[in-house]
Amino acid sequence: MALLTVQGLVQHFPVAGSRKVVAAVNSVSFDLEPGETLALVGESGSGKTTIGRCVLGLIRPTGGLIRYRDVEMGGRRTVRSPELRGKLQLVFQEPAESLDPRQRLYEQIDEPLRALGVNRADREKRVRAAAARVGLREAMLGLYPAEISMGLQQRVGIARAMISEPEIVVLDEPTSALDPTARAEIIDLLIRIQRDLGTAYLFISHDLSAVRQISHRVAVLYLGMIVEQGPAAKLFARPSHPYSVGLLSAVLLPNPTIRRESRISLAGEIPSPIDLPKACYLASRCPMVEERCRTRMPEVETVEPGHLVRCYRHEEVVRDGDAVDYFARFQAEAERILGAGMPPQVSTGQPMNESERGNVDHG
Amino acid sequence: MSDRQPQDPVIALEGLTVAFPRYGGEPVRVLKGIDLALAPGEVVGVVGESGSGKTMLARAIMRLVPRPGRIEAGRISFDGRDMGQLDGEALRRLRGRDIAMIIANPRSELDPLETVGQQIGNVLRHHLTLDKPAIRARSLELLRQVSIPDPERRINAYPHELSGGMAQRVVMAIALACQPRFIISDDATSGLDVTVQAQVLELMRKLVVERGTSLLFITRDIGITAHFCDRVAVLFAGEIVEIGPRHAFFADPKHPYAILLLAAYAQNERLRRYWLGDTTAGAAEGPATTGCPFARRCVRAQDRCRTEHPRLEEMAPGHFARCHFPVER
Repeated sequence: MALLTVQGLVQHFPVAGSRKVVAAVNSVSFDLEPGETLALVGESGSGKTTIGRCVLGLIRPTGGLIRYRDVEMGGRRTVRSPELRGKLQLVFQEPAESLDPRQRLYEQIDEPLRALGVNRADREKRVRAAAARVGLREAMLGLYPAEISMGLQQRVGIARAMISEPEIVVLDEPTSALDPTARAEIIDLLIRIQRDLGTAYLFISHDLSAVRQISHRVAVLYLGMIVEQGPAAKLFARPSHPYSVGLLSAVLLPNPTIRRESRISLAGEIPSPIDLPKACYLASRCPMVEERCRTRMPEVETVEPGHLVRCYRHEEVVRDGDAVDYFARFQAEAERILGAGMPPQVSTGQPMNESERGNVDHG
Repeated sequence: MSDRQPQDPVIALEGLTVAFPRYGGEPVRVLKGIDLALAPGEVVGVVGESGSGKTMLARAIMRLVPRPGRIEAGRISFDGRDMGQLDGEALRRLRGRDIAMIIANPRSELDPLETVGQQIGNVLRHHLTLDKPAIRARSLELLRQVSIPDPERRINAYPHELSGGMAQRVVMAIALACQPRFIISDDATSGLDVTVQAQVLELMRKLVVERGTSLLFITRDIGITAHFCDRVAVLFAGEIVEIGPRHAFFADPKHPYAILLLAAYAQNERLRRYWLGDTTAGAAEGPATTGCPFARRCVRAQDRCRTEHPRLEEMAPGHFARCHFPVER
């Protein structure tokens, strides 16, 4: 039994002064297992954040089902309901804006526990443990958000989300506002916390290298529809949807010799969700478009168990692709370049564990 | 200036130092002795974390250092002319015509009350003597150059009617209006989606190649510089700590801070932990030393680093690093 099941989720928003709607989410289905990270990736306007809000029950879906532990979410049952309090949490993109500028860090981390009615002695113990877990020194807990860096603010946001020991955390672009070094530290921290606590993450991001590191599975969204979904290592090495290929080729990794050379590059921009394309949503930007793509929406097809794609020509996409995981190749090169200058006892340490996470598959 | 050679730098910074006075203390120097020259058609990437002085570098070149900060020392020359000698009027003529700047967040740069056409027209009218039909024709041509679909319609659009990518292109069209010789891009692609970013970069690349425009590309994203810039400069605490040709820099980074920036993308925990050092928050804080400003965070730091400030030295042809103990490969 999956921890979270989303089936045929639809979310339309009315447009003021018009009978039209903004079709933000269009029939999205996925599962989330305990201790797993599912990434939702896509451009702005693809519906990532809206899905996250629906999952938390913050907005009531127009259609479809969201079940958490086999009970339906939405309506009265939201993240605010007493029986769900603390079970589902959210980490935001802008760490500074998600914290109260007039509260000390200690109080901010403590707040969820106060809301849950935990007694003072337990609270204090748990706040200190949570702070230590995210790498905040005790002395910092008396500071205000403006007195610490953005990377530290995000650690506070994470400590606050984790303190109630949630089963699911929605991470909405948690690394996008950060410097590269702070970003790396936050990714590390999130992976470590999941390893220790078994929290499930719904990781919303357009930072594909972060997605590659943190996710077990990836769902690629386009105009509120999942166009491809599969295990991270598979999807990054053999993307089957032209949109996934386009997204992956646009990523610039810090090594000038490594870049996905692709015939598929996406022209133009994402169409308006007010006037959705009639058939395949990507038809207006896709270099492989055919007549049928403009007349009928392709069905979801199974590439292999757990790897789904919605494209008529997905076999050609894979056949013409180079089946190379550039992220993995980049990592191999990075190890070579960064290995120099390290003392031998450090550079010949133990191999990485966690082979189930997409990241170590060099195939 | 007939004695100028075609390969002479378009813009040259020599010992550029920007300082902010501090009450009852030494001024804070946010840029310290920056030397940098861009040849015509050259793209130089500048990377560094927030607070390293990237944006101040852009502003100093434009001579737009916010008060009470000031250019304390150094020289900026454009086309061999010392910009420090120019009066306000001459500077105004230079900015926007010969030197253009593109900043992040295009929406805040555009006037919400004026149409795209009016805003491009403003620049053309100010710097070039064109009549109305010529301005319109030139504006449409510019919009076409930055790949805006349906320019006849978009020229009458207000900024809120544009997507982020489209707004950034309009800002680029404004920057390009007078065919500048030198463009500063300050984090201009950071708010864009990757696919749109790829389109904008391609466009910039095309302009540089076709017109020989020089481009100073300031960014937080070291990944872009690997594919887009001819040379890469790393800024730390207001100093260039490493600069070199793109391929040499990424294949053989010398300065531990440059390596740290690259290690931030590594998945291998041992590598990352080693180069990123003690990430316990605040471990690297404390008063400034007389030595290398990076010493406190540096895994390779030795006693000499804490007392003696390193100089920028040439490690390989055109590849410089400011480190007593650069990494050898």
